[in-house]
Amino acid sequence: MQVKDKRKSRRGVGVLALVCLVCHLALAPNIALGNGHANFALVFAEVVALSVGGPTGVLCGFLGGLVYDLSSTGPIGLMAFLLTAAAYPLGMEVHDRIGEDPGSTYVPVAVTTLVVTFVYHLAMLLVGQSTSFFEGVVFRTLPTALLTFLAYIPFAVVLGRSTRGGGRRLGTPSVQGARRAARHSLRTR
Amino acid sequence: MPLTGKGTAPQGALHKGSSSTGGRLLVVLLAVSAVLFTLSVREAGTGVLSTARNTFQMITTPVRQLGMVVTSPVRAVGNIMSNLTADQETLSELQAEIDELRARNAELEEAARATESLEALLDLKSAYSLESTGARIISGSTDSWSATVTIDKGTSSGIAVGMPVTDSVGAIGQVIECNPASATVRLITDENSGVSAMVQSSRAQGMLRGSATGSLRLTLIRTDQQVEVGDTVITSGLGGVYPKGLPLGKVSSVEKAAGALYYTIVVEPVTSAESLEEVLVITSLTDEQKATAEDIASADAQESSALVEGRGTGVVEQPVADEDAASAGEGE
Repeated sequence: MQVKDKRKSRRGVGVLALVCLVCHLALAPNIALGNGHANFALVFAEVVALSVGGPTGVLCGFLGGLVYDLSSTGPIGLMAFLLTAAAYPLGMEVHDRIGEDPGSTYVPVAVTTLVVTFVYHLAMLLVGQSTSFFEGVVFRTLPTALLTFLAYIPFAVVLGRSTRGGGRRLGTPSVQGARRAARHSLRTR
Repeated sequence: MPLTGKGTAPQGALHKGSSSTGGRLLVVLLAVSAVLFTLSVREAGTGVLSTARNTFQMITTPVRQLGMVVTSPVRAVGNIMSNLTADQETLSELQAEIDELRARNAELEEAARATESLEALLDLKSAYSLESTGARIISGSTDSWSATVTIDKGTSSGIAVGMPVTDSVGAIGQVIECNPASATVRLITDENSGVSAMVQSSRAQGMLRGSATGSLRLTLIRTDQQVEVGDTVITSGLGGVYPKGLPLGKVSSVEKAAGALYYTIVVEPVTSAESLEEVLVITSLTDEQKATAEDIASADAQESSALVEGRGTGVVEQPVADEDAASAGEGE
């Protein structure tokens, strides 16, 4: 039973990864605000951390960051480091937070997005790939954080709706299902 | 889309019966990221990680191409919107510019006829016989910290790192990464870009640098040299990367700080990244397209006199800093 659940969970994460990869490569370069582009690797890391969390969230953060680094011209490993670090605290809280209440994830996601984008900008300044702190913040950090947060909202809404739309279909346990599971465990004892 | 398992406890399928929060994995992956970051910064464009990046970009080229096709209507709407929102002042300016260009066109037609006859008499070669390969832009930059585009030609078409790229109007950038199927071009508006340039009218030579705002800054132009708003900035050919004489932009503002040795000059690029579709990659330069010994001597003399002037006025910090930048050279 658990093996089947794990498979389903992995398939869900895989589909999400594919959607985010296509968005990152095909959509993000063509939609910009100032010099900012949405960071779909960050969206992927946040969604997985808030819905699955734990080691899976951390691993997905790392892999998402690595893909971002490979697709950009910046140093490889920087975004991977930041997304790994960001996924850990997000994934420590109650799991499947998006499924339970997508609205409650907006604040932590907005803060995480802003912090990750700002730290990335600072690191780019340190390695000499960016020259101006102020211009970088105004023309890159803030637009990027805003677009990334806006890109996160549809993911949260879709995942939240699909989860609330029916427990069986969405992987979260219904009350009846929980009772059935409890009865089953009592019988086996 | 289920991300947690069906019929599991609220903690999620992957954590049922486990209190693991991924602490160990976090430490391991942070260490791996730090190692990758250090190697990436140290290897500077050649090495295993660069090869991995080129391979990744080659594999993902079809997805980027797909994105360009799918989003083309959206980008077209963006251009229409920017045209619709032009104010009356801009339209008046454009009308004045058209009138001026008409007059200039008539003048140039006369000059062209004269030039044609002179060319026939002297059998002069065309200055711009560029040896180049045409390419199509398939994607922009995926991140916010670089101004780059990806083109659909790579090493299999004879493209190599360092080659300059132009569009129909002027120079747009330089190839910085290359794989068999595609290449990444750093635009002149990128913060890390530097092009040897000169003001066409006064021949004052400097370095054109990109910025985070998307505008260009022409540095190393002394305050005793002649620069005016509207002047055309072209490539100087110094450094041997870009052919001499390609348009780069127009001077949009010139400022002179009290006691400064150099002007602060902002240049508006002749092309915008949004309008780029097809480009030419210049594969080799002829001798006529490179800077002559006279140009190099002129640039040296300009810099030397600035240094002498700087010592005379006690302002030496800026020229030394800028000299370092200049010595780093084109295509930085």
